[in-house]
Amino acid sequence: MGLLEWVLELLLSPQVFAPVVFPGLVTALVVLLTIIWAERKIAARVQMRVGPLYVTRRFGGVLQMLADGTRYMFQEFIIPETSDKGFFVFAPVLALAAAILPFAFIPAAPGFAPVKHPLAALGVLASLSAAPLAVLLMGWSSGNKFAIQGAVREAFMTLAYEAVVFLSVLAMGMLYGTLDLEEAVYRQVIPGLLLNPISAFTFFVGMVMSAGRLPFDIVEGEQEIVAGPYVEYSGIVFGIGMGLAYLKLYAFSLLFSILYLSGWEPLLPIYSVYPPLGGLMLFVKAYAVMLFVAFLRSVYGRYRLDQALRAGWRIFLPLALASVMFSAFVKVVVYG
Amino acid sequence: MGNLVRSFVGHVRAVATGLRYLLLPNRMTVYYPEKLIELPEGYRGLIRYYPELCVQCGLCAMVCPAGAMKMYVKKGEKRGRPGVNYQRCIFCGFCADICPQNALEMTKVHDVAYEKLEDMILSPEEFAREVRSPALEEGAVKVKVIFSEERGLVHEPA
Repeated sequence: MGLLEWVLELLLSPQVFAPVVFPGLVTALVVLLTIIWAERKIAARVQMRVGPLYVTRRFGGVLQMLADGTRYMFQEFIIPETSDKGFFVFAPVLALAAAILPFAFIPAAPGFAPVKHPLAALGVLASLSAAPLAVLLMGWSSGNKFAIQGAVREAFMTLAYEAVVFLSVLAMGMLYGTLDLEEAVYRQVIPGLLLNPISAFTFFVGMVMSAGRLPFDIVEGEQEIVAGPYVEYSGIVFGIGMGLAYLKLYAFSLLFSILYLSGWEPLLPIYSVYPPLGGLMLFVKAYAVMLFVAFLRSVYGRYRLDQALRAGWRIFLPLALASVMFSAFVKVVVYG
Repeated sequence: MGNLVRSFVGHVRAVATGLRYLLLPNRMTVYYPEKLIELPEGYRGLIRYYPELCVQCGLCAMVCPAGAMKMYVKKGEKRGRPGVNYQRCIFCGFCADICPQNALEMTKVHDVAYEKLEDMILSPEEFAREVRSPALEEGAVKVKVIFSEERGLVHEPA
């Protein structure tokens, strides 16, 4: 009995529950399965089509991704002759780990953060910016020219968005006077989106770039370099490569909701029963942000690499710098 | 700077257009195996052969530009009867046009699938069978295509 209680207590403690169950791993898996379906469905709606339908027809084909995942699962995992075998197998694991790591810093509800640290926002960003290195490794170890091209594109893109994202978060950190994500929610008298719209905009664009969604899916470049760094991967590892972008997007969306959409406010009354469930609003907001990013697929075509880089350095970096200055101005006016 | 503002406005308008399509979808897809578009007169689908009308003149095989039509001569008979090879047929309809007896007819069936390549070569006997649409056999509803100025293509039950 004592053991059972101990396990239950361990499971329900913020250090385990938040990164593993909600809003972490398990929830992320559900999000992954539904968001890809939603993306296909949204694109289909805009393009006058129907989209996935025949897997669980009554619910509009929502289990389509589960069926696809099952297919990936039973596919052969081929390791090419020319690849650097050790790294080829290790790199996807590393990439996935880097994409999951941010959930260790994202609080689910007030007082329910796995790692409460004054630099939590930086922790999220740091672990997210480690993922491109793993993708670079994936491309390089594949020993395929398309994969290497994709990897180099990933490196270029990282240069384009990293500074923008960090500066946008810095602007908000300055505004709230803290980089602790939990504190940041408390300090939002009105949603951060209204406090500093410039920072919200630059962060949003950086987020889309980082997650490799359209119009910045240059790394994958389906029609040019097939799947970029993931081209040699097959079976479930290809599924990981595909899910990686969405995982990053999910982590970024959570961060966006916390910094700019006042996080879990309004707190649901169910909070008194079990804290993280009260923070359900955070999840709803993050999901809405993700849906919007998924929707962008049906509006945009892909930018060229040089266009994206130019936009990153010439437009969004100055804008991000401007947002830092704007934050200083708002801090004086609003927070006194 | 003015350029940037103009481009930002353009992006916003593009997203707004996308949102309008998302909220007011205008689906044009037909749920195929359940619904089937009624085809217009003169549609050139699979060919049907009526042996009782045929005078075995062989014009159809002669005119066929793809070399799909071939006369099969039975033992003891002097002249053959046409059979078709759907691997080659381009559905131009010349055979049906040139037939002096109207023994060949272009049906409106186009959704037949064959399991093997050899199945696509029809002998005169197979060629004379009625052509059936598998979708209609399984109870597909026929729909009519109407062109509407506001919505583009609209499908109504025929």
